[in-house]
Amino acid sequence: MANYTRHPASFKDPSGFVFEWEGKYYRQVNQYYAAQYRQLMDSGLYAQLVQKGWLVKHEEVHTNLTNSDDWYLTLRPETIPYISYPYEWCFAQFRDAALLTLRILRTALEFGMILKDATPFNIQFHKGKPVFIDTLSFDTYDPSQPWVAYRQFCQCFLFPLYLEHYLKSDIQKILSTYINGIPVDIIAKLLPLKSRLNLGVWLHVYLQNTNIGEKGNKATARFSRKKLNDLVTHLENIIRNFPDDKPIKTTWSNYYDDTILSQSYLQEKEKLVRDFCAQTGARTALDLGANDGHFSKILAGMGMEVVATDMDSRCINRLYLETKKQSGLALLPLVMDVSNPSPAVGFNNQERSAFHDRIQMELVLALALVHHLVIGRNISLQTLAGYFNKIAPQLIMEFVPKDDEKVQQMLRSRQDVFIDYHQEQFETVFSQYFTIKRQENIPGTKRTLYWMVRK
Amino acid sequence: MFLSILLYVDPGSGSYLIQVIIAAILGILFYFKNIWWKIKAFFWRPKKEDTSENDNING
Repeated sequence: MANYTRHPASFKDPSGFVFEWEGKYYRQVNQYYAAQYRQLMDSGLYAQLVQKGWLVKHEEVHTNLTNSDDWYLTLRPETIPYISYPYEWCFAQFRDAALLTLRILRTALEFGMILKDATPFNIQFHKGKPVFIDTLSFDTYDPSQPWVAYRQFCQCFLFPLYLEHYLKSDIQKILSTYINGIPVDIIAKLLPLKSRLNLGVWLHVYLQNTNIGEKGNKATARFSRKKLNDLVTHLENIIRNFPDDKPIKTTWSNYYDDTILSQSYLQEKEKLVRDFCAQTGARTALDLGANDGHFSKILAGMGMEVVATDMDSRCINRLYLETKKQSGLALLPLVMDVSNPSPAVGFNNQERSAFHDRIQMELVLALALVHHLVIGRNISLQTLAGYFNKIAPQLIMEFVPKDDEKVQQMLRSRQDVFIDYHQEQFETVFSQYFTIKRQENIPGTKRTLYWMVRK
Repeated sequence: MFLSILLYVDPGSGSYLIQVIIAAILGILFYFKNIWWKIKAFFWRPKKEDTSENDNING
């Protein structure tokens, strides 16, 4: 019977754990958490949160699938098809995840419960919206106590938002190192001097960074519901007042608006991509270097489930804000650098899996990407073909030749050491790993679109 | 096991007293803000108060 695999990230909470059994994910509730689970269900809190679409739905399975002694109940949560991590989110995704956490906390308080932890790993994006997935995070509320997860909320949500807000730079790589949140002493040193003039920063960062709190404990710290309300209201106000989009223009954020590439190029390419994608018969697609998601949206419109990635977080931010408005669109935008995808991190390097182990799609789309990887990042065609072979059962790829204007632009600032970068070599190398099913020139350009199937 | 439970349920152990101090400061702040709102409301038509429910995080 007990033929299950415990999820490697599910080891911290004695309340229960997530496990895989016959290809499906379940969550076990232990005896330890029985009373709190009953309160969550019987108080009406669960129904309220699910009705609002804030908490993942589950079915109760009354079978002890893991054969454990402290088993109370098994839950079968609704499947979230694509798992993403906070260091792959853009600013607006992060902000929405933070607001959802506070909103759930507020609702829980109305039902006599509180969130015992506040980590962004408890949030996933499903059909364009954030949803809370840890059903066992709710605890009975004791109004005389402060919020146990306040510091965690600051480190995991508030500090990263402050950092990105003040630095106006991408911080995903920093977050992938500090998976349990950025420590307060680090953030206090990283924020610029002008941030000290902000009351929120002063209270939640600089005051927390003093040693005043060290002498405090549960016994000396008396709290109240009103105090907690004030704290949550303040955190909400800070986070809601962050602007949706940062006013900086990056290399890619207006690529299609500013580009010298003509509208007719885009139309011709669109026609071909539609045609190629329909031929693949794929139901899921990963769009690498998606930019503003023009082609991801086309694929999603064709009924595919799409994960769109780009290394430019502003592009992903714009795409996220757009997909949020179109309810139910199966498009998940994520920040990811193809030359350095998210690694496996955390305890035993298994707690949070690597990007390509987590997100595996039937089709990979790599449009106008090859020259950035070969010429921009010195990744040889041979190495690149090996990479795509690993991640792509089917591949739609655009080859951009050396005499293309965009490639010429890139070569102007560096020495041309790419003697092997030409179409013939591209086809030879990729043919070692893929069968080229179809290739078409994009009219009006020297670029070629390929459809390949893994050998 | 017992220690690990304590560590888990208490991720912000050092943050208790800080929260008390922050909440006290916020309490004073919101008290005066409330008075200011009441004064404003007395002279001007009150605006609809912003609540987190008005956020459109869910699209």
